Amino acid sequence: MAVSAPQQNVVGDAVASLAYEALEISKSFGGAKALDGVSVDFRPGEIHTLVGENGAGKSTLLRVMSGIYERDGGELRLGGESLERLTPREAQHRGIYLVPQEPTLMPHLSALENLFVGIIPRGRLPFTVDWKRMRESAGDYFAQLGLAIDPRQRAETLSIAQQQQLECARALVHNCSVIFFDEPTSPLTAHEAEMLFALMRRLRERNFTLGFISHRLDEVLELSDRITVLRDARVVATMDAADASRELLVNEMVGHQVTIQRRHARAAQSDDVALSVQQLQREGEFHNISFEVHRGEVLGLAGLVGSGRTEIAETIFGLRHAEAGRITLEGHQLVRHSPRSCIDRGLIYLSEDRGRNGIFADVQLPENVSSAIVPRLPRLRGLLNRRVEQRLAGEAMERTQVRALRRDVPIRSLSGGNQQKALFARWLLAEPKVAIFDEPTRGVDVGAKADIYALIDGLARDGVAIIVISSELEELTWICDRVIAVYEGHVTGELSGEQITVAALGRLIVEEGGA
Amino acid sequence: MTTAPSPSPLLSARPAGVGQRSARRTLSRLLAMRELQLVLVTVVIFAITTAHASTFISAGNISFLLADAMAVAVIAVGQTIVVLTRGIDLSVAPILGTAALAVGFLAQNHNLTPLEGLPLALAIGAAMGLGNGFMVALAGIPPIIATLGSLAIYSGVQAIVAHSQEVVTLPPAYFNLGNGDAINGIPYLALIGAGVAIAFALILWRTRFGRSIYAVGNNAEAARRAGINVSRVTVSSYVLCGALAGLGGLIFLAHVGSADSTTGTDSNIQLTAIAATLIGGTTLTGGKGGVIGSFLAAIFLEVALAALVEFRLNPIWEPAGVGVMILLAVLADPTTGRPSLRSALRMLLQSQRART
Amino acid sequence: MAEGPARIRRGLRLNSEQWWMTSLAVLLAAELLYFSLGVQGFWGGGTGMLNQTEYFLDIGIMAIGVGFVIFAGDIDLSCGAMASFVGIVMAELWKQGVEIWVAALIAVLIAALIGLIHGLIITLFRLESLLVTLASQFILGSLATAIGGGYPPYGFPHAFTSIAGTGSVGPIPAQIIIFAVIGWFSVLLVHRTAFGRSLVLLGHNRDAARYTGVNVSWTRVRAFVLSGLFAGIAGIVIAATYNSVRDDLGDSLLLPAITAVVLGGVDIFGGRGHMAGVLFATFVLGFLYQGLLIEGISQLTANMVGGGVLVVALALKIGLERRGGGLSFAHRLRARFSPGGVP
Repeated sequence: MAVSAPQQNVVGDAVASLAYEALEISKSFGGAKALDGVSVDFRPGEIHTLVGENGAGKSTLLRVMSGIYERDGGELRLGGESLERLTPREAQHRGIYLVPQEPTLMPHLSALENLFVGIIPRGRLPFTVDWKRMRESAGDYFAQLGLAIDPRQRAETLSIAQQQQLECARALVHNCSVIFFDEPTSPLTAHEAEMLFALMRRLRERNFTLGFISHRLDEVLELSDRITVLRDARVVATMDAADASRELLVNEMVGHQVTIQRRHARAAQSDDVALSVQQLQREGEFHNISFEVHRGEVLGLAGLVGSGRTEIAETIFGLRHAEAGRITLEGHQLVRHSPRSCIDRGLIYLSEDRGRNGIFADVQLPENVSSAIVPRLPRLRGLLNRRVEQRLAGEAMERTQVRALRRDVPIRSLSGGNQQKALFARWLLAEPKVAIFDEPTRGVDVGAKADIYALIDGLARDGVAIIVISSELEELTWICDRVIAVYEGHVTGELSGEQITVAALGRLIVEEGGA
Repeated sequence: MTTAPSPSPLLSARPAGVGQRSARRTLSRLLAMRELQLVLVTVVIFAITTAHASTFISAGNISFLLADAMAVAVIAVGQTIVVLTRGIDLSVAPILGTAALAVGFLAQNHNLTPLEGLPLALAIGAAMGLGNGFMVALAGIPPIIATLGSLAIYSGVQAIVAHSQEVVTLPPAYFNLGNGDAINGIPYLALIGAGVAIAFALILWRTRFGRSIYAVGNNAEAARRAGINVSRVTVSSYVLCGALAGLGGLIFLAHVGSADSTTGTDSNIQLTAIAATLIGGTTLTGGKGGVIGSFLAAIFLEVALAALVEFRLNPIWEPAGVGVMILLAVLADPTTGRPSLRSALRMLLQSQRART
Repeated sequence: MAEGPARIRRGLRLNSEQWWMTSLAVLLAAELLYFSLGVQGFWGGGTGMLNQTEYFLDIGIMAIGVGFVIFAGDIDLSCGAMASFVGIVMAELWKQGVEIWVAALIAVLIAALIGLIHGLIITLFRLESLLVTLASQFILGSLATAIGGGYPPYGFPHAFTSIAGTGSVGPIPAQIIIFAVIGWFSVLLVHRTAFGRSLVLLGHNRDAARYTGVNVSWTRVRAFVLSGLFAGIAGIVIAATYNSVRDDLGDSLLLPAITAVVLGGVDIFGGRGHMAGVLFATFVLGFLYQGLLIEGISQLTANMVGGGVLVVALALKIGLERRGGGLSFAHRLRARFSPGGVP
């Protein structure tokens, strides 16, 4: 394929960018609708932001528009021209670039080469590479974007923020003028995010067409020109940023269901401490973390992605080893504990990354559900009793209302919500005394969400101590009795009862509340 | 040399900055390079062995060792290309054998010269490599299984080509090529081998094709999105590996002077070549390493094993030496973030305790 | 809407395991029929055919051992050398005056111990199993040669060679009985015990297994112990069958053994498949080799046919899975090599 060598952009020149429209796009995964007739248009010289709860369809839309997912229906129009079947290559060829949530660079190659992969300029001799030209133009691009990256550095040694900047530079190198950013700020610190925004503003001035996804509403309001709100796979509103406000956006995002989930009123919790954590520390991840959870209490752990909240939970569960501090479970101090010993003592952890750390995609439902209690499964003459196993798993799945036509299907054929409920069934089978749920409703449809909230509430009523980690602040206000907030690895505050509001939490997780 | 961006440790070493600290850093960086390590260790082995038996450093011995290492060295260069794409080729032994047999028979019966034999050997190797490439890239069979299958298939092909006969008498040109010196102490074969290694090093470092090999090995999906034709790159890597195995067959034939239906497979030469690749610093997970390391590793293996013999160690320990060196080479790789022996032992004790 | 056909397709894919077994059974039946009718001396009144198994059941025993490791997503290239090594160790012990059965037991236990060492090196240093067992294969080869010397002992007691080797109970060769016991044991071990469940789960998704409380390292180590153990048993059986040992007698078994595992439907990336498929594939492959050999085809050509069967079978399987919308090879490859999680 004859891809032209990158043009020598004069620093700061405006580009001839095209408007890019999605019309009535629909897309389903295994029966679950991810996009249902979604229309959004992105215009040159404008930052258009998509907001919505997890699973509303934002990322799916950008992936469809950049050719990673094939759409089931609808039309994509670039500069008025309708695009037929769009592959990632075709998209890049036409100038559409998606900066993914997690940068996908070539770890062992230099930053320079990562920039030019696929369109390495030819040298004078046949087949050769024009390194000199690459170096020079890379310098240009870095200067244009104001980046301080050493082109010789290997990509694996760059920070996440630098990797993202490099992805932006790649978009320019590939002559792309439509650039999408899929939640780029979640792994970044506030300062790094600010640098990224400056970069995006520079691109806007030069007439690029920019799409953006973020969960942090403040930065959305600050950066965007227009905002589209998605909810449950549909567009519910598109507005100018000038007309938008935090409250308006939140209302549109959660719709009118806000009221359905006002905090479950539970009877006063017992004073029995189920889990206590004292001065837990891991260099570079978190320090001086102390808290307690009581039986029958739902404790929220609020924080941005990268704030250390998942690392804390994984340390408690024995997946990482603490450098200092003490974890006490039901009066018993955990020393050199492993996930296995935690599960056996009644401490469980539902991981936030369902695809990688949760499900066994090709394994059938019952075996997925029983996987955490394999050593405890009933035996018959030393062999696993499959009938009893199936029955136990079946009962657990009924308790969590997993909806599947048949039980003997691999879990991957289920929708996200049902997969998550199957994982809840897995952990219910383990009969937890303390349960840590990390992003329990990520990628789950609204109906399943309500079911999961009810499950968590039911567990708490049964006397289980529960820790819920979530990026959705509203969610925490609905289900938690108490919330502690973490920011960059330390606790910034604690709220309980009626104090728990989105506004108060929002301040704490970006540290305004102070420690 | 200007600082060219490249995954080769040779070239990616940063230029020495001002001041002692950066000079020391440059030195430690240089010492971390597998290529340099291999050269240094080989020289040290030479020095020690020569102190023990002075004939070890004679021109005749050096010449013999170099010539003897070249079949493995050339195959290792090909193997490296495949491993860089995150593949593996177990079938190079029968490719070598088939090429050696075909050229050998024609030389024995029809006086084919080595120069005429070269394109034949390359073509046979490339064709067999193409088969591997198709199985991996188009049929989607995992490389280790696909080439395991083709190892069996090509061994059969070799047997059919052999037709229960052997190559025993070759024209003198072959003996000359395989054992003669171009310059005193430098055999023809070493020139060929070094030429191949340098040529492929340049191809890998300096051409767009070479860079796509690294890109595919680093992240095939991202490479595909960036517009690289991953299937074509993968197939090409197996074709090149096959062609080099064919060349290895010609080298083997010239050096040993005979060939039969089990040439190559009987000595499991594919495993020695993989060993050289690993010792040379190329990782099985792809995208990292280079052919110069593999070439030097093949020579290093030859010298180290010959030195063992000088020290009156029974040659039956040669394979064990190769095995130990594979392990040492991987454990000596500092960049992988692998646990040290001490922390590994601590982990072992901890997990034992956690279980009880 | 498109629910109907989608479900049917899904249904077919779900049963791919049974589907694969059925194909193997059909292949085996066709093969036996063809050789029995078409090749003089294959059928031999039934017992002749059964006796053929003596020439390949050692492959099956080794395949079961490698199968454990492949279920976990690893590989063991040292099995062949291990079998040679065990045979030599046993013979040398016997020559020193140790009772033959005791010698066999000690040799097999040494094999299990070496398997343990493999597993520990691989999990503690986080090395590729391919690499470590490749190195070990070289080392074991040297050890076998060094211990056995040029003329390893031969001529074992009759009781030994007939029970572990060429004897028979009525028309049924002793080896089939040994193989049946081992096979039954291993099928239960993989599919009906807690260990087997952990093995399969971690083969499917190593990270998820860790997050679900599976002791990933220890389970992998145990798979390597089993692999060593079974390679050792295979080595004893070979020694008994041929009534002699050689420092490279087992080496040629490695590739057919891996072929049998993969042909049996076990995913080389771990997790998917059934141990019974490996047993089946042993017979498919073994009778194929024997039939061809009796037909007068050379060993190398027979291997070639075996390799061809492997490649074609896998290409078909992968092609069907792709069409069925299963996870693509690239997907699984990425999952296999994804960073191993947090330190």
